[in-house]
Amino acid sequence: MPGLQKEKFIVPIGPQHPALKEPAHFEFTVDGETVTSASVRFGYVHRGIEKGTENRNWAQAMYLLERICGICSHVHSTTFALGVEKLAKVPAPPRAQAIRQILLELERIHSHMLWVGVAAHEAGFETLFMYSWRDRETVMDILETFSGNRVNYSANVLGGVKYDLGPAQTDSIKRGLDYLEERLHYYMKIVNSDESFLRRTRGVGMMTTAQAEELGAIGPTARASNVARDLRVDSPYLLYEQFPVTIVLGSTGDLQTRFVVRIQELFESIRVIRELVNHIPGGDLTVRFPRRIPEGEVVMRTEAPRGGLFYFIKSGGGENPVRVKVRTPSLRNFMSVLVGSVGHQLADVPMILSGIDPCFSCNDRMIVVRREPGKETAS
Amino acid sequence: MSMEIEILLKMLVFPGGLTLIALGLLYEYIDRKLMARFQNRIGPRFLQPLADAVKLLAKEEVVPQGVIPIFFVSLPILALAGALTAGLYVPMAGFAPAFSLPGDLIIVIFLLGLLTLSIGLAGANTADRFSILGATRTLTQLFSYEAPFLLALLCPAILADTWQIDMVHQSVLGRVWLALPLFIGFFVAVIGLMGKLELAPFDAPEAESEIVAGALTEYSGRGLALFRLGKNVELVVGLTLIAAFYLGGLANPLEFLLKTLGLLVVVAALQALFARLRIDQTVGMWWRIGALLALAQLLIVVILKGVIL
Amino acid sequence: MKIGSMLGEIIRSVFRKPATVKYPFGARQAVPDRLRGVIQYDAEKCTGCMLCMKDCPSNAIEIIAVDKPNKRFIMRLHVDRCTYCAQCVVNCRFKCISMSNTEWERAALTREPFTVYYGRDEDVKKFLEQTASGVSQEQP
Repeated sequence: MPGLQKEKFIVPIGPQHPALKEPAHFEFTVDGETVTSASVRFGYVHRGIEKGTENRNWAQAMYLLERICGICSHVHSTTFALGVEKLAKVPAPPRAQAIRQILLELERIHSHMLWVGVAAHEAGFETLFMYSWRDRETVMDILETFSGNRVNYSANVLGGVKYDLGPAQTDSIKRGLDYLEERLHYYMKIVNSDESFLRRTRGVGMMTTAQAEELGAIGPTARASNVARDLRVDSPYLLYEQFPVTIVLGSTGDLQTRFVVRIQELFESIRVIRELVNHIPGGDLTVRFPRRIPEGEVVMRTEAPRGGLFYFIKSGGGENPVRVKVRTPSLRNFMSVLVGSVGHQLADVPMILSGIDPCFSCNDRMIVVRREPGKETAS
Repeated sequence: MSMEIEILLKMLVFPGGLTLIALGLLYEYIDRKLMARFQNRIGPRFLQPLADAVKLLAKEEVVPQGVIPIFFVSLPILALAGALTAGLYVPMAGFAPAFSLPGDLIIVIFLLGLLTLSIGLAGANTADRFSILGATRTLTQLFSYEAPFLLALLCPAILADTWQIDMVHQSVLGRVWLALPLFIGFFVAVIGLMGKLELAPFDAPEAESEIVAGALTEYSGRGLALFRLGKNVELVVGLTLIAAFYLGGLANPLEFLLKTLGLLVVVAALQALFARLRIDQTVGMWWRIGALLALAQLLIVVILKGVIL
Repeated sequence: MKIGSMLGEIIRSVFRKPATVKYPFGARQAVPDRLRGVIQYDAEKCTGCMLCMKDCPSNAIEIIAVDKPNKRFIMRLHVDRCTYCAQCVVNCRFKCISMSNTEWERAALTREPFTVYYGRDEDVKKFLEQTASGVSQEQP
């Protein structure tokens, strides 16, 4: 029939959708069950955090920035604190650095275990979801014993940390990590052996090394595609020089490898935490920190659970920051979803999307789209 | 006159109607509770399924734009009616079926399929994209498991030389469980029932992380309640049918409860064990493995029968 | 390569105590010592440096001088604004701010319980009377 044109069938996902309890809008054009193109739109919950820091003093700004992400909160405040300490040339004492690093690695465990559950849920594997979230409670309890809060621990102050590693904390960390290590070995076995789960993960969302480089992927997503990029190793901060981690790399870049890489990273985290707890340097927790930060600019980069986190901080010499710019890791990984989902089944799309461990609240800051003839860049 | 009253009672109270619905709610509760315990959770309270049903029935039914209202309203009724009618032909609670006629096995399988068909049509009737995708998947899945499921139920029937459920049931009563010699058929029948009820891992048609609630996305209130009741009833009828054919028959209510609940434990464990299959994987699995297994079983039964007789 | 590799785990789970905590029914879970609950304020030690107020990220703390020369201060705490970050506890050089680890269930149906006054009883009373009369004076 000449008059009958093939209509595009677009499946919208988000900003209100049970598959995606997060504010972003995806449009997947499907042909039957196969995705032929994808697009994304952000910006539903722009919170104005970067601008908000300019009206607050340095200490207040840190707590505001901690709330950029609900899961990896400590890494935001640590990055900001490290940056400001660099500007003020007042580094935190070594014991505080060690405690920050312990908390960062605990946070990585908490974040990755959450991801294992979410990804299993997207694959319809509710049992793994329930188990991994149950076991995640262990690390939340450790964090609560440490700081008194389960999320948004607010353990940092400018120039140090608030809470010391006491015997109760050492004890809860050691016991908790032993349990978690055993459970993680079990999950590793499941994601590598369960046939029904492997059918949903193996070969899905494949990203080659070249693609990962080209799309600017970052974090575990990139490392699963054999891109050796980890800021803990590439530009060590805190005590990552004395207590280094090894980069975990995967070769195939599909979802199964991302599971393996993330769980393997947790074993690294557990090892580093144990070393730190056993060899924690002594000394003070805080140093006196000036209220006014000398004029200057600083760039601070850290490795968040989802990838490299970038902070640009500019001080005008006063009590408030002049400009804070944050680039969160999720933003760099979204292109891989859009490219990766084309050609896959619609049923795989939630898996591919959750495969990068997207953090949506991280993304809703300003996005500048520059249109130049022939090419589009988003920054 | 008393004849008509008796028929009405059979249809509305026992074994059909209210009994079936009550059993359906009970089995839904047990299924959910078992799933929860398998996942180390507490699970719902005893009256939760009933509370859900009552709440949904009391809610306003929103008829969305772009549907044919008469279909939208009547399809849930058709679905529940089909499942309830099917219950009249199976040996519910160990008693003889309320109605029995030659060839009623085919009627029951058709009536059980009516629910799936109604869900598919209900999805296709609404203009919502998720519903349409869900309807496509529901109907695709229907065509994949229906044949193996039918073949698996035919094996005992062929052995008994009749297509009348009651006669097949009588023939297996007190004999060795058919599930032992015909384990392939039993296996296909249980998995087929799970596919029919769209239980995990065959829940691609209503995969919430992809297409919300599938074909029933636009349903709320009464329609949704009727569809859910229909599914619960179908769970009971299906379990009864399989237990009656493959687990040595249902001689009394106690045996009925033990056998069907035992089957339900297996079904719940299977639900907890697997990740959701994609629709292409489901179809591929049924036609490549399920259909072949069922055919092989049928062949074995026919040959055995020929050799023995 | 296994089918249903979680079988052992799910069977063991059936005989395990469910992980669900029936909060607020049943036995309370023990809370850690460092749990951050509602801020407590000791007016006796306060010197009125206002550092807690300055650095509070959510403007939850108000230190009000009732009688400044005699160092009589009261704190008006807006519990609903507090983010429990403990910056005020760190800032206070005289250790007059602490966080309770018993008082942390603050759900309420009205707004009143979320404004808490700390200080010597007579100071709080004086302040409340002052504000009340201040309001009445404004009305003609």
